This record gives sequence, C-alpha cells and structure tokens, in this order.
Amino acid sequence: MDVIVFHNVFPQETFGMLIAIYFYLTGLSAGSFVLSTLAYVFGMEKFKPIGKIGVILAALFLIMAPLALLIHVGQPFRSWHLFVYLNITSPITWGSFLLTLYPINAVIYGWYMFRGNARLTRLFGIIGIPLAIFVHGYTGFILALGKARALWNTALMPFLFLVSAMVSGIALMILISLIKDKFFSKERVINRELIFSLGNLLAGMILIDLFLVMSDVLVLLVSHAEAQEVAHLLLKGKFSIFFIGVENVLGKIIPALLLLIPRLRSLSTVTIAAMLVVIGIFIMRYVVVVAGEFLHLV
Amino acid sequence: MANVRYGMVIDLRKCIGCHTCSVACKSENSVPLGVWRSWVKQIEKGRYPNVRKSFLPLLCNNCENPICVTVCPVKASYRREDGIVLVDPHRCIGCRYCMAVCPYDARYVNPLVNIVEKCYWCDHLVDRGLKPACVQACPTQARIFGDINDHNAEIGRLLATSPVQVIKPEMGTNPKVFYIEADLDAMKTERKG
Repeated sequence: MDVIVFHNVFPQETFGMLIAIYFYLTGLSAGSFVLSTLAYVFGMEKFKPIGKIGVILAALFLIMAPLALLIHVGQPFRSWHLFVYLNITSPITWGSFLLTLYPINAVIYGWYMFRGNARLTRLFGIIGIPLAIFVHGYTGFILALGKARALWNTALMPFLFLVSAMVSGIALMILISLIKDKFFSKERVINRELIFSLGNLLAGMILIDLFLVMSDVLVLLVSHAEAQEVAHLLLKGKFSIFFIGVENVLGKIIPALLLLIPRLRSLSTVTIAAMLVVIGIFIMRYVVVVAGEFLHLV
Repeated sequence: MANVRYGMVIDLRKCIGCHTCSVACKSENSVPLGVWRSWVKQIEKGRYPNVRKSFLPLLCNNCENPICVTVCPVKASYRREDGIVLVDPHRCIGCRYCMAVCPYDARYVNPLVNIVEKCYWCDHLVDRGLKPACVQACPTQARIFGDINDHNAEIGRLLATSPVQVIKPEMGTNPKVFYIEADLDAMKTERKG
C-alpha cells in the first residue's frame, strides 16, 4: 500500500548536543574519581601516581558539567526551584543533590589527599565511590525513564553509562599520565608499568561495554515497532557511520585489539587506543542522546 | 460536579482536514510562530482510483497517568482533579525533560518566554463552562468535549456506542483523547531513518 505522510509540524529538539556534552563530562568525572580511589582507598600501590590527577579531574569536570545544563535550560535563573520544589519520582531531582554533594566530597577528599592525611582521604574516598556511581548512574536513569524513546527506555542504560564512564575515564587518565610524565615530571620518564596496567583495565572495560551494546541492539532489533525503527537508524540509517564506524569500530574494537594483541603492545599503541576511546565515547553520548530523540513520535 | 473527568472524542468520520482547529487554537492561546498545541497530521493512501486522504488531529491527550508529570523535577507539570494536565508557567525551568519523554510530542518550548507549554484543553474556557476553542471552531463538529463520566452527554454516548481507540495505548499513559475511525498508518511513528 502506498502511503504518503505529510510533514507539517516538526517537534523541537529536546536534549541535543549540550546534554550529550553534560553526560560525557559527568562520565569522565566519575571514571576519574573511581580510578583515584584505587590507590587511596583500595591500597593498590601501583596506581598511586594517578590518585591526585584523578581527584583534580573529577572535581574539574563536575564543576564544568552543570554549566552545560545551565546553558541548556530555558530559565537558568530558576535553577533554585530544583532544590525547593522536589519531585521524588524525577531523576533530575535526585541529580540536583548528587551534583551538589559529589563535587563537595571530591574537593574534601582531594584536600586531605594533598595534605597527606591517609585516614581521612580513605574515609572521603569511600563516601565518594557510591556518589560517583550515582552521579553518573542517575544520568542513565534520566534516559531510561524516557519511556517514549525506544533507545533510552531500557534497564541497561544506567549500566551502559557506568561502564562507558569507566572506559572514558581510564582512557583520559592514560593520556594525562603520559603528558604529565613526558612534559611536567622532573625525570621526564614514562611510568610504563602504570600505563600498561591502565591499558589492561581499559581493555577489560571495553569488552564489557561491547557486550552491553551488543545485547542492547540485539533486543532492540526484535522488540516493538519503534525499537526496530531506532535499531535500523543505528545500523543502516542516518547514525550508522557514527554508531558502527566511530563509536564501535574506531572507538572500541580497534582500541581493544591494540591493547590485547601482545605483538602490538607498545606505548604508542596504548596512546592511540586511548585517544580513539576518548573520541569514541563522546560519539557514543552523542548517538545515544540525538539518535534516541530523532524519530517523530506521532 | 463530583468525579468530573474531561475527555475528548474526535470523530474522524466527520473530519474534513480543514485545520480550523489548529488555527482556532493558535488564536485563542496566542501560540507563537513555529509551534503548535493542536495540529492535523495528513496521509494519502492508495493508487488512483482507489485513494483516500486521512487526517489525524493531534493534541495533548491529558493522560490519566502522565509521564510528563512523573519526571518533572520541579512539579511544574501537574494534573488537576478533572484530569487536565497543566504546566505552572512560574515554576517551569525549561529543562525539556517532559518534552523528551512525552510519547505524543505534545509539548514545545515557547520561544518567547523559554518555558514549556502544551494544550490545556483551554482550561480558562472550560472553567467558565465553555468548550475548548478547537471544539467550538470545528465546522463539522468532529470534536466532542465533555465529562466522560456523564453518560447522558454526547461524549458519554459516543464512547459507549462507538468503537474508539487512543494513540499508543501500550505506553500505559491512559490517554483521554479518543478517536473514532482513526487510520493505522496515520497513528504510526514516522519512519525517518
């Protein structure tokens, strides 16, 4: 049957690039924070050099992230409403408190770390880990509760976000450690052991991320009409270059191969892998947000 | 007046696709250029000589279980006792979350004041005992508005005696705009990929 639909009313963009940037920044922040606790809470001594970088990055990104929100909302001067008129069923209400508590805790944690107070550093690190998980997990719930959008409305979304937060956090940490060792340290010697352990961690996280993305897409492909529509949008349609090419091949599969094949293993391949991952996860945030809201619903 | 639950029936056997409802709504509610509270989707089907043009007038469904109210972080969106879902213009922060989660794309940001708005079934008219502007303006009386619990009113009679359907019942939002003889192809999510 021939059917022609006349497009006369076009829905406005809802979240768009700014929210994708916001998700990216909170992800980097949560990932960096968890990495910094590896040494200072869990006592893994080989990760000691990244503890201080991690906490600085975590605080910086989480101070930058809400700025994207302030630009995005229509009435930024009404932001105080979020703390006065609470709606417990809205993830954004949870987020307004997480986005306040988490950076404060990160600053206190960092303060004690730089003062060398191991006991209090550990205490605030332990408080910070659940906060870091929730501050990024809640952004997954923002999308997961968007029941009109097939790509978002999945219980996998918070997990997908947490794993991709770790992936991007580790990759950024590799890059920052390399730059710091090469240009800003006294000895100008790269800590190879640290970089390769981070590389192993990164490879593991990428594999988990690939598994989650695969299960998400496989279920979308056989689910209800809109889910199939959005799966085709990702695999064959307008977003296929971003989703398959950049996010998954360049951003996950190639870095995983570079990190896992022993013959390829060197400082330069780890660097390339980390750079690809940092770009790939940004594209992942973009695809999830923009492809998710791409379809007209009626 | 206890237990009033407003609803709307759109009888597509009568709809001629003239867009009077869209224009009446714009005029009554001063809706800015580029955004709509009520609009008419059109489709053309078939090949000559077996053709048909179908219409689907769209507006906020003022759902019984509105997801926009669930997710609004500042409770700017709320549901009245009689079922009309409103947005408090002084409280909305313009975060657009309600727009993103609405299965019917019923909401928009008013570009003049940067807050989210939608169809309120002309609550200012309904509270004075009048009908919404689109219902008053419809030249073929395809839109019927009233209390769906009132079995003697025209809306109650139509709901009881006609096969009606709603858009996307699977969303569990329990919409309160009912269509008689709506076309399946007009109610689908648009294919854009």
